Amino acid sequence: MTAATLSLAPVEQEVTSTDEVVAPDVPWVTIVWNDPVNLMTYVTWVFETYFGYARAKAEKLMMDVHVKGRAVVSNGPRESMERDAEALQGYGLWATFEKDS
Amino acid sequence: MARAFLREQGLYVGLLEPNERIVLQGLMQQTRLLLAPEIEPTGDAFDDLVASMGLSLSAADGRPAEPNGLEAESGSSSFADRDPALDRLLPTAHRGDDQIAAEFRRLTEESLRQRKSGNLDVALQCVERAVGDRVVLDESQAPAFLMALTDVRLLLGERMGMRTEEDAEALHAAMEDIDDDDPLGYAMAWYDFLTWLQETLTQALMGTDLRDVVTAYDDDDREDLPGDDPGTDTV
Repeated sequence: MTAATLSLAPVEQEVTSTDEVVAPDVPWVTIVWNDPVNLMTYVTWVFETYFGYARAKAEKLMMDVHVKGRAVVSNGPRESMERDAEALQGYGLWATFEKDS
Repeated sequence: MARAFLREQGLYVGLLEPNERIVLQGLMQQTRLLLAPEIEPTGDAFDDLVASMGLSLSAADGRPAEPNGLEAESGSSSFADRDPALDRLLPTAHRGDDQIAAEFRRLTEESLRQRKSGNLDVALQCVERAVGDRVVLDESQAPAFLMALTDVRLLLGERMGMRTEEDAEALHAAMEDIDDDDPLGYAMAWYDFLTWLQETLTQALMGTDLRDVVTAYDDDDREDLPGDDPGTDTV
């Protein structure tokens, strides 16, 4: 639903090129954090709707968020993780992205 | 008495009484106000797209451009006077690197504000158009309504100091012996009501039966919530 927004922005490409020249192949991750407001069913629905994950996978990720406090919900190049984080924040989830360690 | 959102012939229909609709609209309007984008959607798809790409850029506009825009908001002061609720609705996207977080915010905040405001506009219209207490959502309105409810609850939760699971438990526990006229009790009762409402719409969208969730939400429930679990679980 937001795929076009970031990839069209020339500003972002500049930044990416100055910032990430070192290890372009190091994957990044998108993380969703536990919070007291978002509903378990809603979080599952978001994972199904946005990522297209099957119910079982979406529920497992949701339970990881619930029990462990956070879950890695996607991984890939930085631009994709920024896009995922932005989209998930649009849904009201507490999403961040970072370089996988 | 409100009735859960249920699927009816491809639509999602919930029943909300006039006072419930008024409160819901008020809360949605407040959330809309907080999120108001720098540039309101113009109705022109291209202009909106350009605005959403971050070209408006707000706070930075009055200052000379920084190379790559990187330094502009790396200082911690830029967002120091932000309403804390905004940090809940538009949270930091990188924990540990303020510069990356600021850059992300610069690139995404305007479009996120536009999208969230747009969801609230859709939801407000749907409530406005209720006929005979029936709030009717089609396939595209239902997700927008769901996201709008999320943002309303995030705002309400933040205003009540609900930032962790412990806060939420403490707040619910405090309801046991809160004064009838305490505004916190009032806010909490509406928060729980909206939680229930969102749960029913989510389950309707997911095509699941309303397991363990009541389909009718009595006014009495709103005054006697501590004992009543409407069957909702947060992550």
